[in-house]
Amino acid sequence: MRRPLLICAVLCLAACSIAGVAQDLRVPASVTAGEEATIPTTGSGKATFYLVGPGVSRKNDVSLGEEIHLQGQDLRNAGDYLALVCSDTCHTGTFYVIAAKPSSLTFLVHPSRVPVGQGDAISGVAFPFDQFKNLVLAPATVTFQLAVGDKPLFSRPVRAQNGVAWFRTASGKSAGLVQVIASLDDVTAKRAVQQVASEPCNLRITGQRIPIGVLVQTEPVHDCAGNVVPDGTIVTFSATEANGKSTVDAPIKQGIARAQMEASGTTVVSAASGVVMGNELRIGGKP
Amino acid sequence: MKFTLPIILVVATAALMVLALFGAGQAHGTVGIAAGSAVYTPKASTPEQALKNLLVDVQRRNWDRAMTAVSKTSDTNKQMFIQDWTGTNGSLRSFSSLEGFESRPLHITNDEAQMRVRLHWTTPVGPLEDVRDFRLVREGDVWKTVLPKVQLPSVPSQVIPVTYLRWDLVSGGAADEWGSKNVDAPHVRIISMNAVDSAEGAVVMGEVVNEDTVPAFVNVNATLVDGAGSAIDDETSFDKIDHVLLPKQVSPYRIDFPNINLKNVKNVRMDVKATLVPASADPVIGVMNQKIESDVQGKSVLHGDLLNQSGQTVNISHVVVSFYDNNAKVVWVADGYEDHALLPQSSAPFAVEIPKSVASKVQNFHVVVNQYSLGRS
Amino acid sequence: MSTTTQSYSRPIPILAIVLVALAVHGPLLLMQLPAGSFDANFHMFFASHYAHHWFNPWNEKWFGGFSQTTYPPLTHQWIALLSTVAGLKMGYMLVQLIAVLLLPVGVFRFARIWVDDRAASYAALGSVFLGALAFLVYQAGQLATVSSAALYLNALPYFYEWMTEARARSLIKGVAISLAAAAAHHVTLIFGVVLFAGPVLWVAYLDARDERVSGSVGGVLSRAAVFAVLVGAGVGLVLLPYWLAIIQHPIHQIPIPHDSRANFLLNSTTAINYFVIPYGALILALPFILIRGASSRRLRPLLMGFWVTMIFGLGGTTPVPKWLLGRAYEILTFERFTFWATLLAMPIVGILAIQLLDRFRSKAAVALSLAAVGTVGAALWWLTANPYRSTGMAATNVDPVVAFLNRDGHDAYRYITLGFGSELAKVSTYTSAGSVDGDYNSARLLPEMTHYGSAQLTNAKFYGSAGMASLRAMLQHANRYGLKYIFVHDTYYEPLLTFVGWRKIETFGTGEITAWSKDDVPPAHKIESDAVPAPWQGLLWGILPIGVSFLAIFLELLLPEQRRVPTAAGIPVRAEPSEQHYVA
Repeated sequence: MRRPLLICAVLCLAACSIAGVAQDLRVPASVTAGEEATIPTTGSGKATFYLVGPGVSRKNDVSLGEEIHLQGQDLRNAGDYLALVCSDTCHTGTFYVIAAKPSSLTFLVHPSRVPVGQGDAISGVAFPFDQFKNLVLAPATVTFQLAVGDKPLFSRPVRAQNGVAWFRTASGKSAGLVQVIASLDDVTAKRAVQQVASEPCNLRITGQRIPIGVLVQTEPVHDCAGNVVPDGTIVTFSATEANGKSTVDAPIKQGIARAQMEASGTTVVSAASGVVMGNELRIGGKP
Repeated sequence: MKFTLPIILVVATAALMVLALFGAGQAHGTVGIAAGSAVYTPKASTPEQALKNLLVDVQRRNWDRAMTAVSKTSDTNKQMFIQDWTGTNGSLRSFSSLEGFESRPLHITNDEAQMRVRLHWTTPVGPLEDVRDFRLVREGDVWKTVLPKVQLPSVPSQVIPVTYLRWDLVSGGAADEWGSKNVDAPHVRIISMNAVDSAEGAVVMGEVVNEDTVPAFVNVNATLVDGAGSAIDDETSFDKIDHVLLPKQVSPYRIDFPNINLKNVKNVRMDVKATLVPASADPVIGVMNQKIESDVQGKSVLHGDLLNQSGQTVNISHVVVSFYDNNAKVVWVADGYEDHALLPQSSAPFAVEIPKSVASKVQNFHVVVNQYSLGRS
Repeated sequence: MSTTTQSYSRPIPILAIVLVALAVHGPLLLMQLPAGSFDANFHMFFASHYAHHWFNPWNEKWFGGFSQTTYPPLTHQWIALLSTVAGLKMGYMLVQLIAVLLLPVGVFRFARIWVDDRAASYAALGSVFLGALAFLVYQAGQLATVSSAALYLNALPYFYEWMTEARARSLIKGVAISLAAAAAHHVTLIFGVVLFAGPVLWVAYLDARDERVSGSVGGVLSRAAVFAVLVGAGVGLVLLPYWLAIIQHPIHQIPIPHDSRANFLLNSTTAINYFVIPYGALILALPFILIRGASSRRLRPLLMGFWVTMIFGLGGTTPVPKWLLGRAYEILTFERFTFWATLLAMPIVGILAIQLLDRFRSKAAVALSLAAVGTVGAALWWLTANPYRSTGMAATNVDPVVAFLNRDGHDAYRYITLGFGSELAKVSTYTSAGSVDGDYNSARLLPEMTHYGSAQLTNAKFYGSAGMASLRAMLQHANRYGLKYIFVHDTYYEPLLTFVGWRKIETFGTGEITAWSKDDVPPAHKIESDAVPAPWQGLLWGILPIGVSFLAIFLELLLPEQRRVPTAAGIPVRAEPSEQHYVA
């Protein structure tokens, strides 16, 4: 329905422009989104009023000499608006609708998981929007905070420019859930970043001979910062003896990876997790 | 003419049928028949015919008749015989059909024969070949096959405690605010890559590791680029990889480019795609007694045993092996499917062939086991 | 003479025969029994495309894009027209019903070339109960073959009349109906030239030579040539886009095994399916057909036509089809030859019927009725008894699959089904997504489909290693074709999908269908093909085939057949004196 109206208004404007009869309409310099506004008119008789803006077009009859009342719902979208009053001649005016005060923050944080102790590993960007989902371009200060539980780790106010505020920081030393909060006045957005253990560090294994072969297990697996490597992480055990080699990809369960391998002679057992190698262990043959 | 023409037509029809029966004008590609006529000869007067009768009946799952071709001295019964050929416990064999066979005599005397048969199976994962030796004996004027005792796996009743380790995935709904529940894809990295020419074409292979703390579903893609920067071909790792990688797990990958020679390739663009997926850390399958040996045909083969260390049945296991040279460079990646199910706490042998061209370079190897369990895919 | 005897000694009115056909097949078609046949969904799929894109035969829903000019369009276009008022499925049933009703009319008119009206009427009545007809309609779903045969049988009497009587209206109507038959199914017309028109030409020659008709031998042969030239040129024009497509892309794919090419002597189920069921009680009549056909010089061309067609219908049971057809042997299926053989036998069967009735009267009537009903009944019973005909998928609801593909932008990707059988075409008909698979072997151009000797990917396992190799090749190139979704109705395929990188993402219904996806597949893009027909071909395809069918209808209405002088009941019109003792 709106498209024909828009075309009609544009055609009217074009016709008026060609005829050289377009005159300025006294419109407000700027209006805040969602607020009402008025446009005074002069003269007498009936005229047709057109309002064309971002996602909005409206046409109605008005009486010249009376004020044209613009409803708040017609001015919800920020941007340039064109007002046009046509009777014998057409009068135009343009005005700008600015975003209202921020009512929400769109907050993107990357990554959702990060190994501990990495520089510039966490970044976040916040976009303030008003209640009508207009990006608020007016300068405002967004405060970014990182916290573990109730304990704040980091707080940084950032001046939003052109509707964008961002930060970047290193990951912490401890594995766990980190709250990332962006706040602007009374508007807050929360996200979570999982800080996870880094590569295993000093992977050590112990082993013993059992009747069916050898039983090997790691000591509790930590990263270099002392964080426990998460359960499920694969440790590859290799047992090499004269008759061949046996391997088991064993997941860490409760901090320890454990595997049984068939081997009868003197066996050299090693372990690796990803690209990290552990120590080698020599277990004697069956007595 | 009243009777002459009908007689001519009937005789001609019968003659044509006989011609067709003995091979003339047979359609090619008849499924299930490897070679020669499919006509069953009730009285097997040669070892070849006896074995053919048996295998044709196995193909047609005509078990009763097949058992008549088996010598009474065989240490088997009908039930074991059927299970031997049709598989058990949802194994790959139980999904397979014997599509064809080729037999050749190893040793024949008047009363006894040894035959080697190459069996061609069609399976859900592609064609598989199997070589079996059969002993046949003459009983009167008929040859029969002597079947050895079939060892069917059995597992004692036991309770195996399991500490379940699983990752579940909760996805955000469409109504969630943008960016509020984003979860990053797992961080996966190609740790080695090597491109070589093989008899079938170019091959790109290497290893990929899941560096993350969550499971990853991984596909490795490669694009061959020529001197002008144009893509020659792009292919994926397909089934030459373990697609589900648990944290810190390493898998070999191999990407085949049939009929392409590396001399036309200027560059290889690698692309690894990883997706966060629900996964389980069980079952754990150990790879025991791995050893490279030469088989009777002089081929280098990596042998070993797969040991199911969990309490659940693994129906189909898939072995992917990376072979390294003395510089720890991946020189070949090979794979193979195991056609017997792995029952809990039981093992089954596997073998993967190494091409002659790389066998001499191989110094070390790394085996990963991919698995399919019915109802848990 | 009793009333019963009198009724046996008169020809059965053709209207009554058509009503019998309506009574027998009408309810079965209204019950939509053929909807579960092998090819029904294929025909509806094609028709659905015409309903939406009448002048654009390029269909992107199968094989990443294929041209529907590779299959004659008449029946599909009629379904498309009727679907606008009756829906797709009922449109199919109506077109099938029209073909079934046209068939006895055609048999009656064709049989009158050889036998008198009375025998011809019994031949026509018998054709309603043919096991081969029931087999093609309710099991195979060969709508085009049945429709084309029915039209062709109606055209042949005009061919005979034109040759022997030089009537221009016979020429015009004969050519128009022949073109319509070709527009319905080209293979029927091509083989019909030899198997049907050959005996007609032969008998016209005999009649001219023996001066049973007004035309001379030279006149008969020259008029036959004129007819052949006109039909040949007409078929060339009406199906021009088809010929262009087949010349541009001859069928080079590896042969696909089909049971109708098997040796029936080696497989009893195949023998029942392709011989016993289609022939039914006609098997008992074979000795009579041979002896009676051989004893009359006029019937010998028909007998030879029947015998050759029957031999072809035996598929791989004899080497003749392979010898004579060469490579085409591997492309054709042979159940249609059995259908044609039964049609060719019907005039002689008509003679048998009236002989039995004249001799045994009511007893013969009862026996013939039982044989007829038994034949069609056995064919219908075989629908459920056939061990090769899986009904598993037919009972499964594919609507959730269609709904899945049509929502959330899933149709931006391509899909395949596994274990769906002919229901693949049903899914394709109602979804906006495209597939790289399809249920039409001749249109396949993707190398993954043509290099392995298997047909549909959805039935891959039934083609053994070749089928699975084809499926593996397609899955290997999934990213290339935007193949993201796979719907599985057979757990056989699950291990392969698991090992090659697909994940189960959804389960439909009670778990009989699962959806699998591969995450790194980019959206499908248009696959460039040199097989896309030019716009003028689409225009031609949309106008000429349907146009000739309208022309044939109008000619039948505008140029009605001149009423023939009724002959005394039981006296053969064109029979030789020596055979008169065979009829009352």
